[in-house]
Amino acid sequence: MAELMLKSALQSDARKRRRNRADRRFKWYGFTALVLAMAFLVFFFIDIIGKGLPAFQQAEMLVQVSYSEAVKDNYNLALDKISRKLVSRSWLRTIPMMLEDHPELVGTTSEEWVVTDYHIDQFLKGHEGHGLIEKDQKLVEKLCEEGKIKLAFNSGFFTHGDSKMPENAGILASAIGSVLVLLLTMLVAVPIGVMTAIYLEEFAPDNRFTQLIEVNINNLAAIPSILYGLLGLAIFINFMGVPRSSALAGGLTLALMTLPIIIIATRAALRAVPETIREAAYGLGASNLQTVWDHVLPLAKPGILTGAIIGLAQAMGETAPLLIVGMMAYIPEAPHSILEATTVLPAQVYTWSGESIRAFEERTAAGIMVLLAVLLSMNALAVRLRNRSETNW
Amino acid sequence: MKTKKNKLTVRNLKLWYGESEALHGIDLDIVSGKVTSLIGPSGCGKSTFLRCFNRMNDRIPNCRVEGEVLLEGHDIYAPDVDVVQLRSHVGMVFQKPNPFPKSIYENIAYAPRIHGMVDDGDDMDELVETALKRASIWDEVKDKLQQPGTALSGGQQQRLCIARTIAVQPDVILMDEPCSALDPIATAKIEELMDELKEDYTIVIVTHNMQQAARASDYTAYFYLGDLIEYGETQKVFTTPRDQRTEDYITGRFG
Ligand SMILES: Nc1ncnc2c1ncn2[C@@H]1O[C@H](COP(=O)(O)OP(=O)(O)OP(=O)(O)O)[C@@H](O)[C@H]1O
Ligand SMILES: [Mg+2]
Repeated sequence: MAELMLKSALQSDARKRRRNRADRRFKWYGFTALVLAMAFLVFFFIDIIGKGLPAFQQAEMLVQVSYSEAVKDNYNLALDKISRKLVSRSWLRTIPMMLEDHPELVGTTSEEWVVTDYHIDQFLKGHEGHGLIEKDQKLVEKLCEEGKIKLAFNSGFFTHGDSKMPENAGILASAIGSVLVLLLTMLVAVPIGVMTAIYLEEFAPDNRFTQLIEVNINNLAAIPSILYGLLGLAIFINFMGVPRSSALAGGLTLALMTLPIIIIATRAALRAVPETIREAAYGLGASNLQTVWDHVLPLAKPGILTGAIIGLAQAMGETAPLLIVGMMAYIPEAPHSILEATTVLPAQVYTWSGESIRAFEERTAAGIMVLLAVLLSMNALAVRLRNRSETNW
Repeated sequence: MKTKKNKLTVRNLKLWYGESEALHGIDLDIVSGKVTSLIGPSGCGKSTFLRCFNRMNDRIPNCRVEGEVLLEGHDIYAPDVDVVQLRSHVGMVFQKPNPFPKSIYENIAYAPRIHGMVDDGDDMDELVETALKRASIWDEVKDKLQQPGTALSGGQQQRLCIARTIAVQPDVILMDEPCSALDPIATAKIEELMDELKEDYTIVIVTHNMQQAARASDYTAYFYLGDLIEYGETQKVFTTPRDQRTEDYITGRFG
């Protein structure tokens, strides 16, 4: 009898078949979801990289520049008639200024590689709608054959601020702005967030009031980020009088947004520290502060750092709240102080994406690539920190 | 014969976790320089009672204590008592070895440093060495003082924790099932250690191991459901228990 039961239990009955089928189906759903997600991701990357890569090259032209006294008043005179049309206006305009700074150049001539007008650049890259007239196309092709026009690494993209002329537009100003804003966010949000979390987790009594605060902090982490922009506008700009569009306004606003993320991450990290460590310290007569400072915090540090980095990475990619505090403007110059008008990388990308000139499209994509590279490295750093310091206790 | 001196005196000690009373008025004297073991079935309040001696229960929200606990005549629950000071007099070793995830040296040196007992340097080196020697673990770790304490075996970790407690030079050492995570050999080592240490320290130990209580302790207290049922010299308690419940528990007839 018992043998019979065992035998029937081992044989596949209808229930087992049904179970297996459900198993398989579920596995298949999961697999499909994964493939779909990967496909979206790959599509996104291919699209962005395909569009953005050309922006890292820029058409340049070898020209004969003659510096004379007259050039100071009319920069067009520095070049011959033909070159004058082909090179970038933004470069031509800088010649008088350069001569002011280097008067010794007056009366000399030199051969220089100079950034061309964006129409030529787009034409060489084979983009449709390059807008170069038929006659010039021939000319450019000829110059190319002579080796006087070529595509070279676009260093200007990293050394210039924004410009209305696409061949001259770069990310430097917005990158500096991003660094400033992020530094401010970090300086404000990390200490306040970590301190708040330590207080709530290790010192505050567990009562109605602290529970209410906890619920609210969790809610704050979930509200749409644009509301933080409105909050920042109301508090920092209208009430405290922080200049609009400034790195300070942006940094403080993003700090507001990052604060709950850091608090939640820090609390989780503190909670993950085993109670036995606290008991050990208290048992030896360590005070509250000594226990937290000497034993709990060192163990929670990797978790806190990870949370902070992820929070800051999110702040770095954020655009909506900055829109409200006026950081979406055309700002070609890198800021010299935290009170000057500033733009940030995502805002720069957003501004370019709205430009009507086609040549800005590749710069938009290139800007996204730079932004993504920074964000991915920040996240990689966070993961590394977490993996490296997994302590066993 | 030395006269019996009481290190700790407990008078009508009651303890509540929120609404539920876990200790129902305990009276007991812990004799100085002896090992006292607390035995009893799970959940009877041994750990709770033990943790009253260094006020570890203070950390539990909603935990309330009534009655008196006197350390050499001083009420440790008096309002002006500094818990930090108290805990430097009454050390504790926990059930699960819990060395700090720091170097062996740091594990020992930490408490003397925060209590300002000695400064870092030769004095501290000496103190660390003495503590490790007293806990008879010196020979095993003397060449790796800078390695993490968490890398030791369970038994070594527990002796490290004992050394850490000794380093503060307390009067009383509380141990809550210190051997429950250890094998018989490591257990024997700790029992030996307790025997040596009781010359200088008063030891109170919670144990589930009847042989251990019989072997290693001078006095035994039997707890049942938050009451102290029987207390006396270990030999008497084990050979001629006065209470039926004690006898049932000791002989293993207890459910
Ligand atoms: N932190 C706490 N909060 C509420 N009740 C508690 C708490 N700790 C212990 N208790 C209760 O107090 C009673 C005594 O617990 P205690 O831990 O002292 O038992 P014990 O004798 O040490 O048991 P064991 O031998 O299993 O360790 C138990 O009923 C337990 O449920
Ligand atoms: Mg216990």
